[in-house]
Amino acid sequence: MAEYETHEHDVLVIGAGGAGLRAAIEASAAGVSVGLVCKSLLGKAHTVMAEGGIAAALANVDERDNWKVHFSDTMRGGQYVNNWRMAQLHAQEAPARVHELEAWGAVFDRTPDGRILQRNFGGHKYPRLAHVGDRTGLELIRTLQDHGIHLGMEVYMECTVVKLLKDGDRIAGAFAYYRDRGRFVIFKAKAVVLATGGIGKAYKITSNSWEYTGDGHTLAYDAGADLQDMEFLQFHPTGMIWPTSVQGILVTEGVRGEGGILVNNKGEQFMYKDIPDLYKNQTAKDPEEGWRYCQGDRNAQRPAELLTRDHVARCIRREVNEGRGSPHGGVFLDISWIKSKIPNAPEHIKRKLPSMYHQFKELGDIDITKEAMEVGPTTHYIMGGVKVDAESQMSRVPGLFACGECAVGINGANRLGGNSLSDLIVFGKRAGEFAAKYAKDKGAPALHNDQVEEAARWTLAPFERAGGTEGPYQIQYDLQNMMQDLVGIVRREDEMLRALEGLGKLRRRAQEAKVAGNREYNPGWHTALDLHNLLTVSEAIARSALVRKESRGGHFRDDFPAKADKFAKVNLVVRKGPDGQMQLEEVPIPEMPEELKQIIKEMG
Amino acid sequence: MAEAITLEVTRYHPERDEEPSLQSDEVPLRKEWVVLDALNYVKDKVDGTLSFRWSCRMGICGSCGMMVNGAPKLTCATFLSDYAPGPVRIAPLDNFPVIRDLVVDISDFLIKLSRAKPWLIRKREKPLSEGEYLQTADELDTYKQFSMCINCMLCYAACPVYGLDPLFSGPAAIALAQRYNLDSRDEGSNQRLDILSHSDGIWGCTFVGECTEVCPKNVDPAGAIQQYKLTATKEWMKSFLMPWGGGE
Repeated sequence: MAEYETHEHDVLVIGAGGAGLRAAIEASAAGVSVGLVCKSLLGKAHTVMAEGGIAAALANVDERDNWKVHFSDTMRGGQYVNNWRMAQLHAQEAPARVHELEAWGAVFDRTPDGRILQRNFGGHKYPRLAHVGDRTGLELIRTLQDHGIHLGMEVYMECTVVKLLKDGDRIAGAFAYYRDRGRFVIFKAKAVVLATGGIGKAYKITSNSWEYTGDGHTLAYDAGADLQDMEFLQFHPTGMIWPTSVQGILVTEGVRGEGGILVNNKGEQFMYKDIPDLYKNQTAKDPEEGWRYCQGDRNAQRPAELLTRDHVARCIRREVNEGRGSPHGGVFLDISWIKSKIPNAPEHIKRKLPSMYHQFKELGDIDITKEAMEVGPTTHYIMGGVKVDAESQMSRVPGLFACGECAVGINGANRLGGNSLSDLIVFGKRAGEFAAKYAKDKGAPALHNDQVEEAARWTLAPFERAGGTEGPYQIQYDLQNMMQDLVGIVRREDEMLRALEGLGKLRRRAQEAKVAGNREYNPGWHTALDLHNLLTVSEAIARSALVRKESRGGHFRDDFPAKADKFAKVNLVVRKGPDGQMQLEEVPIPEMPEELKQIIKEMG
Repeated sequence: MAEAITLEVTRYHPERDEEPSLQSDEVPLRKEWVVLDALNYVKDKVDGTLSFRWSCRMGICGSCGMMVNGAPKLTCATFLSDYAPGPVRIAPLDNFPVIRDLVVDISDFLIKLSRAKPWLIRKREKPLSEGEYLQTADELDTYKQFSMCINCMLCYAACPVYGLDPLFSGPAAIALAQRYNLDSRDEGSNQRLDILSHSDGIWGCTFVGECTEVCPKNVDPAGAIQQYKLTATKEWMKSFLMPWGGGE
């Protein structure tokens, strides 16, 4: 083992987006030694792409807001299969986390009296998203990065973790390689925090970049943790669809929050045709009322465009399928129309949505102050993830914590926009705090040489396969197409059975995929290793989606289009069985305490 | 392929190669393609060993900065067709050591960044329960532009002073220090003079503004540097007298 570079930390954080940085900051502040590993450069993680804002019931714009309303909105958005305790903690703690970020220097747009400004977003009853223009994620990650760099944590950049190491039941560290030289590195740690984000790269059309291959999900699964709610996948309704080179890139919900409307090729504002019962009394009865809401009329209800993401995505799909789509297979999102309502509309749009203006101008040669955008659903976020304790964020593997997108709980069947950035800072802090506490309480674990050698062998295997001719890119490409077609936004039993069969074949191909060249900066090799993660999360998604014979939130079954009572009471959990095969269990949702039930009832 | 353009990419493997070489590849010239699409085409279809950084594809992460025909650009926001009929020459960012091909070592910048003390410095920090520090829209406007930086390093690649004097803190770090100095919530400008004291670079910087020219987010680092020279002179004088800036 002496041949590998080895580092020892009390707490090792894997992933340096908002959740990982926040966890690392908290653990460092608790006085333990912290290592932070990231796949790309520090500050470039996906959090940087978040646009709309951070949901927190600050009540700066509408004093009727409070944590109870936020809790209730989050549960409703998640169709009540959320971990209610996490939803409660999230709603209660988000305001303090936002204030903390502000005190560290984060820039926010302001109300006339100088407080943090909040904007409307889908599924939130009151204007709730603290934001700066439409680049809130950049501000969040920059603030955490700048705050974190002087706390003394060690940062290991462009470094990918491939296996977690254990000492008996408990976590002992991680095995990784540096992407540039291909050298192996071992991290010995008392506690490990996973904060690796999502799985978007299992799909063809996604807002996610190359990094999002389900690493944390798979590391945890392989180490014996449970994954839950993997069938719940968020297709963001508004991704760019043209030009094809930018297909899938996000168009912020903030466009609709500022009054943007969704229109089909007949000029109809089709979102008003289908309003779910759960939201009937919270939704405007016509576009005119919707516009008044966006202008701050407190007696008006939210426009139908701001219904939850799962519903809006399905409505767009329906319009396209029934021949009312836009030329490139989406629908129109129009913010330019507000020029008929307010003076200086182009300046207003550029001020409120500067990044969107530039994104369309630069990438699509479209002036959004003058013409409509073409948009369609894009794979954006997975609600499912590593099952953790609500208070501490620890998984069933002692010493293994998870937070942010790779953990499960607050979102249930569908995440509300803005609840992700707040999730990162609320549960990132908790994970860091409890990981540090765990590390202080425990002695050092032992590293076991056989595990390290096994990990090294596994990692080098793609170079040593005899006879294999196929490279990893084609397999990844085929996987993305298959998941898009067979386990996508609308699902059916026969298609998912085909997908499971297809996954088996793809796994066999992946086990034979051969990589040319050597270990030095070899993207083909990296992809070959990522395939294991992509295939694992894809199987978890397909298996869970097959068992949930109903439609709820981000999981829609063509063959079971309604909600079923039976499934309202369970979460689906997958774990690795003793034989190495994936096992699935229906786990009853714990009964909600009376006082939380009461809150939901009161909020209507 | 109907229309094509030649991409001339710098290949370099410092441990193995005496010096960088150029690799020429034909790539499709599609109207909607940016330079990054062409690089990914080469990596996926022609030569899987070509190394470069990228992530978001939407001009916000700041990973994909490279020299395109001699000018620093974000390759995800630079259209290939603007360089037709070609060839388009892609090289790593100037003024940084090369790790491999188009990947450069930016660790020097991270050190300079922390020198800017990019966080609010307060005489008294108030408890979270008291809520946010108030700030008017006008106060926000005085520094907002300087807060748009995405750490893409284009300004360092363009900076003639940094090219000659690596001790110079450089445009983005100074703009960041100035962003905090101008922030009405901050009271620590006299503690940020360090950013300037490591070299005489700042006095060599003229208002030519190459950094501002190339900034994809219109941060205007050159403007920040000029402002900083004035602030710095004043603060230096004050810091001799009162460590907290005279109770402003």
